[in-house]
Amino acid sequence: MTTPVIRTHGLVKDYGRTRALAGLDLEVRSGEVFGFIGPNGAGKSTTIRVLLDLLRPTAGEAEVLGQAPAAGGPALRARIGYLPGELATPARVTAREQLAHLAALRGGRGGERVEALAERFSLDLDRPLRALSRGNKQKLGVIQAFMHEPELLVLDEPTSGLDPLLQHEFLDLVRETAARGATVFMSSHVLREVESVADRVAVIREGRTVDVDSVRGLRARAGQRVSLTFAETPDPAAFEVLDAVRDVRLEGATLHCLLLGEPDALLKLAARSRVTHWVARDLDLEDLFMDVYRYGPDGVDGAKGVRDAR
Amino acid sequence: MRAEVLPSLRRVLRDHRRGFVIWAAALAAITVFYMAFWPMMGEEMTAAIQGMPEGLMAAMGYDRIGTAAGYLEAVVYGLLGPVVLLVHGIALGGRLIAGQEEDGTLELDFAAPLGRARLYWERLAAAWLLVTGLVAAVTAAVLVSNPMFDLNVSPANVVATGVGLGLLIGGFVTVAFAIGAATGRRGIAVGATAGLAVIAYVFRGVANAAGVDVYAALSPLSWFLQPDPLANGLVLASVIKLAAITLVAAPVGLWRFRRRDLMT
Repeated sequence: MTTPVIRTHGLVKDYGRTRALAGLDLEVRSGEVFGFIGPNGAGKSTTIRVLLDLLRPTAGEAEVLGQAPAAGGPALRARIGYLPGELATPARVTAREQLAHLAALRGGRGGERVEALAERFSLDLDRPLRALSRGNKQKLGVIQAFMHEPELLVLDEPTSGLDPLLQHEFLDLVRETAARGATVFMSSHVLREVESVADRVAVIREGRTVDVDSVRGLRARAGQRVSLTFAETPDPAAFEVLDAVRDVRLEGATLHCLLLGEPDALLKLAARSRVTHWVARDLDLEDLFMDVYRYGPDGVDGAKGVRDAR
Repeated sequence: MRAEVLPSLRRVLRDHRRGFVIWAAALAAITVFYMAFWPMMGEEMTAAIQGMPEGLMAAMGYDRIGTAAGYLEAVVYGLLGPVVLLVHGIALGGRLIAGQEEDGTLELDFAAPLGRARLYWERLAAAWLLVTGLVAAVTAAVLVSNPMFDLNVSPANVVATGVGLGLLIGGFVTVAFAIGAATGRRGIAVGATAGLAVIAYVFRGVANAAGVDVYAALSPLSWFLQPDPLANGLVLASVIKLAAITLVAAPVGLWRFRRRDLMT
């Protein structure tokens, strides 16, 4: 059994009287792309800063690559690439100087990949950082996190500030990184930004993990909106009794419903009559997440919760 | 390859190289400017100050202003040098960890595979190099203008006084740096250290005017100037006391810096 790359257990962090993390549990496996989702102020950045030993936990445990962040020290951080949520850059130096400095802090590691990455993200290395837009600074942040090919990438809101084209390029880079065996831990306040790359997702709210699942699992739980148009008006009651079917509504000869789980029973029942048109659309996971934010884990815990939340 | 040696120290020097050149040139120019007044003022000075209250003159350190060494001590080493260097040095000390932590520009350095102790010592060493360079500029300006304006002060003693000035300024820079590293708050670091510097000035003034030794014993400015380094050169007790500021403040700041939360 392999050690998890990131593991926290009952992690608590207080800032004075404010509780930022209230017993966070997390387990990220080796080689996975893990999405860390929650609204602003949920404790995402606090968690990440604990993992990098910028903050010391008030209580509970945190382990990165099998070591507590403080005990692992510089040798542990050498194996991590970090992109801060809000990257502040010194004004007077150029991107090239800044990246050379950050490579020097790693004993020179990664310096040789700067040119290629800058070209890939079309970042002008010779302009002073003061003159760079937010998007360009974010490119610099991405480059410095990936340049030394670390085993673990900890990315706090990595796609913020990147335009859609560069977001796409960034997600490709994440996929390549995962393909070479690295683990990627990335936070976002919107699921959409991570769902195309993440294997699993944890949702946090008010400093606690409220849900962990694969993107596929979440999608299955979110369900599909199905519309079936029949040659003759069907009997909605026959559909309502099916286990996986909710919210049955009849509109002329068209039956609308919410499908949770396998479509088999629904299709077989529908196939007894003549179906002239059908539409099945995945529910936007974002809607599901809004419910988790609002109602907590029970909001998605089982089909009943989903129906009630809608 | 080169850049990988002491990267944090190099970075601080890189960030401050332009400011350093300007400050060094300005300090040297002002020093020469003041010294150029000596031939004109030397004779007049003694006469001019005779009518002034003795206590005030003593408090300002002007009681011996009629001599070249006294003039140099009162103007360059008692007032201009320390005040300008302290204002600049305390701001620098407060900025190098606390200020840059607050504006976020150190976040990636903190997250890099460099221990906190290493970062602390490299940045403190860089601060010392910068202020030592500025003190050297003042000292060089005095050495150059000494024969030009017939001050006839011993060059060896000018260097010795420069060492004392460097230890005094470096001490306050270290205090500001250490408080900043311990608290992560630039305002606290600069405010507290500036307060200590003002107290040092006031105590020296009181000690000179009233001759109270307790105040002189508590003022680093007195530790520096009381032994009269322009006349006596390096005095060991003075050097030890001035160095002690740094030797006490630096480890205490590091002790706290290694234990606290960063970037909060």
